[in-house]
Amino acid sequence: MIRQLVVNNVLHRPIRTIVSVIAVGVEVALVILIVGLTSGIMKETAKRIEGIGADIMLQPPSASAFLAFSGAPMPVKIADKLRELRYVQAVAPVLLQISSAGGVDIIYGIDPKSFGEVSNGFVFLEGHDMQGPDDILLDDWAAKAKHAAVNTTFRLLDHDFHVAGIVEHGKGARMFVPLATLQDLSGSRDKASVFFIKCTRQDHTQAVMDEMRPIFAGYQIRPLQDFLSQMTATSLPGLDAFIDSMIALAVSIGFLVILLSMYTTVIERTRDIGILKSIGASKSYIIRALLGESAFICVIGIGVGIATSYVARAMFVSSFPTLSIIITPDWIARSAVIALAGGLLGASYPAWLASRKDAIEALSYD
Amino acid sequence: MTFTTTIRPPADASHSTRDLKVEPIVFTENLWKLYHAGKVEVAALRGVNFKVLPGEFVSVMGPSGCGKSSLLYVLGGLAKASRGRVLVDGNDLAAMSDAERTKLRRFKIGFVFQRFNLLPTLDARGNIAIAQHIHGDGFDPHRFEVITKLLGLTDRLKHRPSEMSGGEQQRVAIARAIINEPKIILADEPTGNLDTQNSEIVLSMLSQLNKELGQTIVMITHNPEAAAYSSRVVHMRDGVIVDGTPAN
Repeated sequence: MIRQLVVNNVLHRPIRTIVSVIAVGVEVALVILIVGLTSGIMKETAKRIEGIGADIMLQPPSASAFLAFSGAPMPVKIADKLRELRYVQAVAPVLLQISSAGGVDIIYGIDPKSFGEVSNGFVFLEGHDMQGPDDILLDDWAAKAKHAAVNTTFRLLDHDFHVAGIVEHGKGARMFVPLATLQDLSGSRDKASVFFIKCTRQDHTQAVMDEMRPIFAGYQIRPLQDFLSQMTATSLPGLDAFIDSMIALAVSIGFLVILLSMYTTVIERTRDIGILKSIGASKSYIIRALLGESAFICVIGIGVGIATSYVARAMFVSSFPTLSIIITPDWIARSAVIALAGGLLGASYPAWLASRKDAIEALSYD
Repeated sequence: MTFTTTIRPPADASHSTRDLKVEPIVFTENLWKLYHAGKVEVAALRGVNFKVLPGEFVSVMGPSGCGKSSLLYVLGGLAKASRGRVLVDGNDLAAMSDAERTKLRRFKIGFVFQRFNLLPTLDARGNIAIAQHIHGDGFDPHRFEVITKLLGLTDRLKHRPSEMSGGEQQRVAIARAIINEPKIILADEPTGNLDTQNSEIVLSMLSQLNKELGQTIVMITHNPEAAAYSSRVVHMRDGVIVDGTPAN
C-alpha cells in the first residue's frame, strides 16, 4: 500500500519528478564519466607505454609516471652508457613535447632506428617511415581526429610537417617526429626526456635494473611490465583531489535538488500528512513514505544517469576518437549508491519536518 | 503500549441500566483545552464533563467557536487536553504522549471530516485500504467488500476523489473510518459540505451503522435536522456543555 502511495504521489507532479530525476541522472552520469575519463586516459596511456615493448624506462629524478609531465633534462649520450650494460639489447632515447593547439597532444621525438629496435617497429597502415627531418607519423586515431592524410602538410608546434605515414595505435604517443627536429623546435639540443630499454630476455629486467641503480642513483628506473598498475590517481598530484571534488560536486547537485523537491512536496501535501495522522499513521510511517518517494525518484534517476553515461561516452568518442572513457560495473554501482545516499539524505530533513507537523493545523491547511 | 477495553453489555434497550453498570466509552471530567494565540490564552474548553455510552449516537451542537471541534479533536487524540481527564475506551488520553494517542487513534477511533479529507492521489479503494494498511492487519477483502457494499461504493472504487461527488467522497470517508472496526466514530460536521439529498444519505448511513452494527458515534453539527438522526443531543456554548439529555 505504501508503495502504491509512493508511486501515485511521484506521478502526481510529473514535471517536478522529471526535474528531480534529471538532477539525479546528471549526478550519476557526472560521477561515472569523470571517473571513466580519468581512468580511461590513465589506462590508455599506460597501455600505449606498455605497447612500446620496452622492459625498462629511465627518467630523471622525481619524474612522474605520467610522461607528459617530464621535462628534457637528460643528455642523449646516456643511451650509449645504457647500451654497455649486460643484458641490454636496445635503447631508444625519446624527447617528449606537449602541444596544446587543437587539444592536448603528446609528441614523441624519436630516432626511428633505435625506436624500431626497442618496439619491433611500427605497423604501417598507410605510407612509410620518417625519412626527412620534417616527416611526421600519426597513429590511426590521431589521423582520424585531426583529419590528416599521408602526403599532406600537418602544422604542429608552429612548424609544417609532412605526413609520411599512418601507423597502428598503441606505441607510446600518437604523433612521432625525428628526435633532432623536436630538439631544435623545443630548444633541447642533445637532450631526451626518457630512455626506453629492451633487455635480451624479459627475465633479465631485474638484473639490468639492479645494474642501473648505482650508476643512475636518484633516477627513476621503472619496469614497464606492470606499468598500468603504476598509473593510479595518486601518481598524478591533485588527481585524487580533483576526482573527489567532482564527485562531491555531483552529489551536492543531487542532494540539493532532492532536498528542494521534497521540501516543496511536504509543503504542498501538508493536508495529506494531516489526513494520514488523523487515521493513525505514525511519524515513522510518514517518514518512510517520503523517503520512499525520494528513493523511487533516485532509482529512476540512476537508470537515466547510467544510460546517459553510455550515450555521452559514445558521443564523446565519436567526436574525439583519441579520448578513452572506461565505464566499469564497480563505478556504476558506486555512483548508484552515492546518488541514493545523497537523495535519502536530502529527503530526510523534509521527511522529519513532515512527521512533526501538527495534525489539526495540517488538516486545515489549504 | 497496551490498551484497555471496557466490557460492554449488549446495546439492548430492554436491559435496565439499574441492573447493569455500563462503562462509558467516552468520559471526560473537568476537561480544559487552552490555546495560545501569541501572548493571549484562549480557553476552547472550560471544564467539560461529557459521557458517551457504547452504542450511542450523540450529536454535539452549538454556535461557531463554542468548542465543539476542540472537544472532538481532544477525544480523537489529535489535540492534548490541557487539564482534566479524557478516557476513551478506558484509556486516559490526557496522560498519553503523541505517539500513544496516534496508536490509540489507529486502533480505536475513526474520523469523518466536513471536508472529506481523502488522499487525492489514491482512488476510493486505496483511500479505504490505506487505513487497513496503517492499522497493520493488512487488506481484509471480506470486510472491505461488506463495508463498500453497505455504503454503496462498489461501482466507485476505481475513481479518485476528484472524480466523485461530495456524497460519494463522504461515503468513502465513512468507509475508511469504519473499516478497522473502531470503538467510536468521531464525525466533524459530516454534512457541512453536502447538499440536502447527499446529507440525508450520509446521515442515514451513519444512523444505519449505529442501529444495525451498534457503532458508537459522536457527531458535531450546527444543523438541527442532522442532529435529529442521533439518539441524544448535547448543547455547548463558550466551551461548556449547557444542556443535553443525560447519558443514562
